[in-house]
Amino acid sequence: MRSVLANTGSIIDFKAKADELLPEGASYDSCLNCGLCSSGCPASGLEGMDPRRFIRMAMLGMNEELSTTPWVWTCTQCKRCMYICPMSIDVSLLVGLARGAWPEDKKPSGIVRSCQAQLLDSGTSAMGLRSEDFIEIIEETVDEVRQEDERFKDIQAPVDKQGAYFFVNQNSREPAAEPEEMAPLWKIFQYVGADWTYASTGWAAENFCMFTGDDAAWERMVRRRVDAVNDLGCKVWVNTECGHSFYTIWKGVERFGLEANFEMGSLVSYYAQWIREGKLPVNSDWNTQGLKFTLQDPCQLVRKSIGDPVADDLRFVARKLVGEENFIDMQPCRSANYCCGGGGGFLQAGMKEQRHAYGKRKFDQIMTTEAGYVLTPCHNCHSQIEDIGGHFGGDYHVVHYWTLICLSLGILGENERKYLGPDLAEVGL
Amino acid sequence: MKAGGIETFETEVLIIGGGVTGTGVMRDLALRGIHCLLIDRRDLNAGASGGNHGLLHSGGRYASSDSETAAECRQEGEILMRVAPDCIDDCGGLFVAVEGDDPGFAERFPGYCDAAGIDCETLSPAEAREREPVLSGKLFAAYSIPDATVDPFRITLENVNHAQQLTDSLFLPHTGVESFEIGDGAITGVLCRNTKTGGMRRIFARQVVNAAGAWAMDVARRAGCSDVRLLYSKGTLIISNTRVTDRVINRLRPPGDGDILVPGGTVSLLGTTSDSVDDLQDIRPTVAEVERVLVEGTAMMPCLETTRFIRAFSGVRPLLLPSQNGADGRSASRGFTLFDHQDQGLENFATVTGGKLTTFRLMAEKTGDLVAGRLGNSQPCKTATEPLPSGNAVRWTEPGFAPRFWYRRNDPTDMILCECEMVPQSAVDSIIESAPGAEAEMSLQAIGVRSRVGKGSCQGAFCSIRVTSHLYDRGVYDSEQGLNSMRDFLSGRFKGVQPVLWGEQMPQIELSEALHCSLMGLDQLGGKADEPEKKDTDR
Repeated sequence: MRSVLANTGSIIDFKAKADELLPEGASYDSCLNCGLCSSGCPASGLEGMDPRRFIRMAMLGMNEELSTTPWVWTCTQCKRCMYICPMSIDVSLLVGLARGAWPEDKKPSGIVRSCQAQLLDSGTSAMGLRSEDFIEIIEETVDEVRQEDERFKDIQAPVDKQGAYFFVNQNSREPAAEPEEMAPLWKIFQYVGADWTYASTGWAAENFCMFTGDDAAWERMVRRRVDAVNDLGCKVWVNTECGHSFYTIWKGVERFGLEANFEMGSLVSYYAQWIREGKLPVNSDWNTQGLKFTLQDPCQLVRKSIGDPVADDLRFVARKLVGEENFIDMQPCRSANYCCGGGGGFLQAGMKEQRHAYGKRKFDQIMTTEAGYVLTPCHNCHSQIEDIGGHFGGDYHVVHYWTLICLSLGILGENERKYLGPDLAEVGL
Repeated sequence: MKAGGIETFETEVLIIGGGVTGTGVMRDLALRGIHCLLIDRRDLNAGASGGNHGLLHSGGRYASSDSETAAECRQEGEILMRVAPDCIDDCGGLFVAVEGDDPGFAERFPGYCDAAGIDCETLSPAEAREREPVLSGKLFAAYSIPDATVDPFRITLENVNHAQQLTDSLFLPHTGVESFEIGDGAITGVLCRNTKTGGMRRIFARQVVNAAGAWAMDVARRAGCSDVRLLYSKGTLIISNTRVTDRVINRLRPPGDGDILVPGGTVSLLGTTSDSVDDLQDIRPTVAEVERVLVEGTAMMPCLETTRFIRAFSGVRPLLLPSQNGADGRSASRGFTLFDHQDQGLENFATVTGGKLTTFRLMAEKTGDLVAGRLGNSQPCKTATEPLPSGNAVRWTEPGFAPRFWYRRNDPTDMILCECEMVPQSAVDSIIESAPGAEAEMSLQAIGVRSRVGKGSCQGAFCSIRVTSHLYDRGVYDSEQGLNSMRDFLSGRFKGVQPVLWGEQMPQIELSEALHCSLMGLDQLGGKADEPEKKDTDR
C-alpha cells in the first residue's frame, strides 16, 4: 500500500543534515540497528517504511527516496522511537525536515490549508475562526450558561484581561462547532476562583504549521502567541486539554530562542493541584455503576514535553474522578505509550486507510482494558480514538476531563454531555 | 562423474585460485572459446582479492617509485572504466601533504605523474578543502588525480558469470589441490579435496594455471616448481560506518602505513599497513595495526578520530621476490610475473602472480595468450574491448544497490533480511539459485561474499538470524546446518570487529553477543568451530 502523494520538490542530504541538527552524541551513525524503534512504531510497515529503515536509508545516501516517501506524513513525530532508542536517536527531526522539503501544493492539503488559515488572522485559528467571531461566540455562550444555571449567573469568560494570573488558550473546535463544550472549563475556573483570561490574539490552541515542516511558519505562530501572553502580563500560560498546542510553544520557545516572560503549564497539572489543595472536591460517588475508564497519554504533552510528572497528574485526577478500582491503564502507557495516530497532522492528511492501520494498535490496547470510556486530554487523540472506535467497532465513549470534573461536582449541564454515553446522561442533573 | 568414490571432472584449462586474477583468466580464455574449470580451496575473493582497498589506481601512488607500474595502472584503469563501468565508481582522487611531510616530495610529485602519463592538477589547500571539507587544516599541498574505485567482489562474480555464459565454464568452491599427477613433462591430473565434505576430486585438464595469489608459491611447489618465490606482505585496513569523503584521499609522500582512504560505495576504507609475514596461517588484523593506520589517517583527516569504524580486515599481498635478498614489502615490485615453468620441466603449467587489483586484466591477458597458444587457439584477447555483461545474481555486492532495487520494486512480500544494508529476500534467493558458485547448501559466508549481508554496522547480528531462518524455511538447511553456518559466519565477522571495539561498536557487539549467545545459544552448539585457516579476510 503506497499513497499517491508524491514530492517533486527538493532533495535533502539527510546524513549531512543529521550531522548538523542532531545533538552531540546522538548521530545516526551510532544506530545499532536493533530495531526497537521499528518494533514500537505503529507506523512501521506503512508505505513500506519504518524508523530504522529511515535511518539506514539516510546512512546509505538514499536521499531521493527519503525526500519523496509519503511515509513522512504517516509518522506522527510522536518520538516513541527516540524514547526507546538505546542511542537516543531522534528520527522525527528528519521527518520534519523531509516534510518541509515537499512543495506546498504536494503536501497533504488538509494540513497546508489549516496552516494557511492560521496565518490569515491574528487569532491563529486553524479553523479560520476570526478573533471578533471568537469573542462574540464567547459572549453568547456566557449568556446561555448564566441563564441556564443559577449557580453560574455571574460566570465570566474574560478576554484580554491585563495582568490576569492565567492566560488560557482555546482549541478552535469548541467555539467553531460546539461552543457549549467551553462551559465546563469556565465553571471549573469559577469553582476554584481562578484569575484567568482569554486573549483576542494568539488565542488558538492548534498549530498545523508545525506539522507542515515549515519551521518559519511554526515560528510565526509561536511568536504571535508568546507576544500575546507577554503583552497581557500573565504569570502562567495554561494550555487547554490539548497535546501538540502545548509542545509547539514549550519546544518552540527554546527552538526559536524566544523571550517568554511567563511559566508554561498544562491544565491537567492545575486540575491535580486544585484537587490536592481541596479547591476541586471531586470524588467518584457518582460512579455507582462501576463504569471503567482508561486514559490516553497525549504524546505531545507527556513523552515529548513534561514527561512522567504530568502522566502522574493525569492518573491522580482520573482515579479521584472515577474511583481507584474503576481506572485501568493501557499498557504500555505514560512516556512509553503508543500514539493514537491522530497526531502530527495525520487526521488532516487525507490518508484514512493508513491512519486506521496506524490506529489499530491503539484500538486493540483500548479494547484489552475493557473500559467503556477513554479519557483524552487532547483534541487530536479525542477525534482519532472516536474515529477508530467507529471504524473497528469499539463500544466505548471518548471524554474530556472537564466533563467528568463537572459531572463529579454536580455542575455539568444537560447540553454539556455530548460525549457521555446514555449510562451517564442523567447522572448528577 | 564419480569413479571409485572420486568425483572426476574434465576441462580444457584448470585454473587454481578464485581471486580476481584467476577469474580474469577464466573469462579471458572463455572469450577465446575455451572451457575452463576454476577451483578455490575456499571461495571467490578469499585472499587478497577480498582483502584490499578496492582502489582502481590512477598510478599516482607508484609514480615516484615505479613508473612502469604507474603507467600500467593508468592504462588498465582506463580500460576497466570502459568495459566494467558497473563495477567502478569514477570518484577521482586527491594527494595531500600535511605539516611534517616532505615539501620536496610534494613539489616533485607532478613531475613523477607527468613521466607516467598521469593527469595531475595542482590545487591550493583551500581548493582541496572545498572539495573535501574533512581534510586537515594543516594541509600545505594538494593534487587532483584520476583515481577511482572498483568493487572487487563484483568484478570476480562478473568474470565467472560471463565465462559460464560463454563456454559453460564452471567454478567449484572449497576445492583445494592435494597433489599433481605428472608424467612425460606434463601434468596429467590434479587430485583435489573437497574441503567441505572431505571427498576427493580428480581433474583432467590440458592446461593448468596457478593463480593462487599468496598461495601460488605453495601450489607451484606441489607441482615440483621452485621458481616461484614470494614475499608475503600483510596489510590491514579498517572500514567506517559511512562514507567519509567523496574521493580517494592519498597521503602525498612515499608509500607508508595508513596513507590511503578509499570510498567503497556507502563506506570508506582506511589503510593499509605493510608487514612481512612468514606464513599464511591465521592472518587477522591486530589492535596495534589498527592504531597505526588510524594515527596516520587522522593526520590527513582529523575527523577519523571520532569516526565510527565497524570492522578491520587483513589481506596478504603476494610480492615477487627479486633474485637478490633483503627486499621488504614496500620496495619489492608490485608488478607481476608469468611463469611458463618450461625450465622446470612442465609444458602445460603456468603461474601468474604478483601484480595488483588494477592490473588483473593485463595479467589475465598475458596468461591467456600463453595458455591459448599452447592449446593451438589463435583467438586474440578480447577483454580490453568486450564489456562485462551484468546479471541478476552478480549485482548484490554493490553498496546501496539492494535497497534501491527493493524500494523501486515496492513488493510488500519481499521482506528485508539484512536491515543494515537492506538486502531483501529476493536477493538472497537469486544468489542461492544462480550466483557463481551457488550450491545446494550454501553457507552464510558464501552468501556474504556475493552480497552485502553481514557487511553493515551490525556485522551480522540480525541478518545472520534472518537469512538462516529464511534458508531453513526454503529447505536449504536441515538440523544443525544453519546454526553451524551462523556460528562460522559470526566467528569470522568477530575477528574483524575485535580490533575496532571502541565507541559505538562496543554496545553494538554486546547486543550481538546477547542475541547469539543468550538468545540463540550458539556458544553451546556441539561440534567444532570453523578451522582457523579459514580466516575471514573479506570486507
